[in-house]
Amino acid sequence: MNGVAYLAWRYLTHHKYKTAILVLAITLILYVPAGLRALVRLSERQLTSRAAATPLLIGAKGSPLELVLNSLYARAEVPAPLTYAAVDEVTATGLARAIPLYVRFHAQQDPIVGTTLDYFEFRGLRVAAGRQMARLGDCVLGASAARRRGTAPGGWVISSPENAFDLAGVYPLKMRVTGVLAYSDSPDDDAIFTDVKTTWLIEGLAHGHQDLTKPEAAPGVLKREGGAITANASVTQYNEVTDENIRSFHFHGDAATFPITAIIAAPRDTKSATLLMGRYQAADRPQQIVQPLEVIRELMSAVFAVQSFVLTALIVTGVATLATAGLVFLLSLRLRRREIATLVKIGGSRARVAAVVVSEVAAVVGASAMLAAALTWITGSFGSEIIRNLVAR
Amino acid sequence: MRLSSLVLSFTLLAFLSCGGPAGDAPADGGKSKPLVMTTNYPLDYFAGRIGGELIDVRFPMEGHADPAFWAPDPETIESYQKADLILLNGATYEKWVDRVSLPPSKVIDTSAGFRDRYIPLEEAVTHSHGPEGQHSHGGTAFTTWLDPALAREQANAILGALKTALPAEAAALEGNFASLAQDLEALDRELQGAGGSGPMLASHPVYQYAARRYHWNLVSFHWEPDEPPSAAEWEKLRRALRKHPAKVMLWEAPPQPETEKRLKELGVTAIVFYPCATRPSEGDYLSVMRRNAERIKLSALK
Repeated sequence: MNGVAYLAWRYLTHHKYKTAILVLAITLILYVPAGLRALVRLSERQLTSRAAATPLLIGAKGSPLELVLNSLYARAEVPAPLTYAAVDEVTATGLARAIPLYVRFHAQQDPIVGTTLDYFEFRGLRVAAGRQMARLGDCVLGASAARRRGTAPGGWVISSPENAFDLAGVYPLKMRVTGVLAYSDSPDDDAIFTDVKTTWLIEGLAHGHQDLTKPEAAPGVLKREGGAITANASVTQYNEVTDENIRSFHFHGDAATFPITAIIAAPRDTKSATLLMGRYQAADRPQQIVQPLEVIRELMSAVFAVQSFVLTALIVTGVATLATAGLVFLLSLRLRRREIATLVKIGGSRARVAAVVVSEVAAVVGASAMLAAALTWITGSFGSEIIRNLVAR
Repeated sequence: MRLSSLVLSFTLLAFLSCGGPAGDAPADGGKSKPLVMTTNYPLDYFAGRIGGELIDVRFPMEGHADPAFWAPDPETIESYQKADLILLNGATYEKWVDRVSLPPSKVIDTSAGFRDRYIPLEEAVTHSHGPEGQHSHGGTAFTTWLDPALAREQANAILGALKTALPAEAAALEGNFASLAQDLEALDRELQGAGGSGPMLASHPVYQYAARRYHWNLVSFHWEPDEPPSAAEWEKLRRALRKHPAKVMLWEAPPQPETEKRLKELGVTAIVFYPCATRPSEGDYLSVMRRNAERIKLSALK
């Protein structure tokens, strides 16, 4: 290390608190706009790719944004339901593969996504541990949900009641975890997947109970009239599907009338997509069809407008902070007049003294720039997980 | 989280970050032929006749139990999930399907085309508990393939599914279907008038579609071939014979000799009419059905 660098280093380490504060301030000034831009770009790319991978969404008429956010990210408020008959209707057109989604229930903070096995193929999700759900009451966990809950295949997940004060409402269902999905860097990592039929079970549209024709169920029977049996409230209903009781589970009513929140429609080709969209244009139709990519682009354009305001404010603040930092350096020079005079008296030229001061400034700015670059890289690399965890909670 | 707060989170916190599909696509396992799995033997036979060497057809149930009351184990469900095509009989035949997860895009309900012609079961138990009111655990008659005309429609549904899976082989598949359809039409002709118009009995309620097609005047019981009927069941039969003086009783399998003897004493001949829901130990669906037709024709001549 030459003399100039040594003196600059000694000065900075001697005034370590002042140096640290300066480095922190300049780092933040450089990092915040750069990090924000990195996050915006990352989020835009990921949001857009998720939306682009979902050609069409069909839901009940209402907010398209709510429909897209609920269906693609398992967040936002639950859109108005549509019936499963709408799935059969799309399938019957032969224009698209219809994948139902029922995203309404939760297990603690994790969303329960009711769908069919076609969803996993459509999203390219594969089971990393255990096996795919096989029967009513089975579920598979996204990689992050499994890690957070500390649950592995063979474990259990219990659905949460929608309203703790509604004692007659949705019963918690104890679901068997059959598998954990491979990490996909998508909202699917945070979800609990189950068959749409299991979500109907959670809702109470299906249930399992004692066989009322058997003698052991007699205490639960109010009356028998021919083939009609009326049971009282004491009849044992199951809140868990097991090998022993699975045959007692049955649905009430026609599945075509059961609710879902959305349908992912994967058209065969562009022409099929256009034809399918045309079928949902009638004003009296109770469903809407949206292109998630368009909805997300609209959202992103609003976000970019806000982002430009935020960036402008940050740049103005940054300039003010840098000016303050410059002032700090200038004031410190006045405070260091005796020190500089001593350096000159012991033989240091004015140029060397100036080089020491410039080296100090360069070291502080350089360290700040490197820290800001490192933080920006971390944000770009791990931003999705960090932000998802923050927003998901 | 409310929508407004979500949007705010997007803008100020820099956005819910979510990725596209990053998982590996499932491997196809290097299959050369589409795997077609069925839920009973007749569908297995029809698919085999139509697909021939172009497909790999499997009906995974072993033994001779009734597939209508079968429930596959988790390993079998997994193999159904991995199939390229899953052929269901429909008409509430596969009760287990409501309780398992199968990929709908691969499932073909072969009887969906004649849903309006299903025969509702009359003996359904209804019950009520809770606010949802009364509901029934009943269903419809499901042995649709005993009516060759309906069997032909089921085969036609299989043809449609196979043509979608193997578009390049459409001509071969149609040729195979035409041959099967001819055989089914010939079987239909053999069964026409075979049972006569007189009263008949059935040991089990499985012949509804054949009875409708061929105008059989049929009353069904719930007797098992390998179990002797109880005294109450014999009494029920005697009462039925007073109003319905049948000379023959159709059985899904040969009844016990003692049962056959007692029926004879009542003037009723036991005729075996195999529904052929499982793979026969000899012959195939068509030969079994032809022998059924011969037996019923012979009994009518006596």
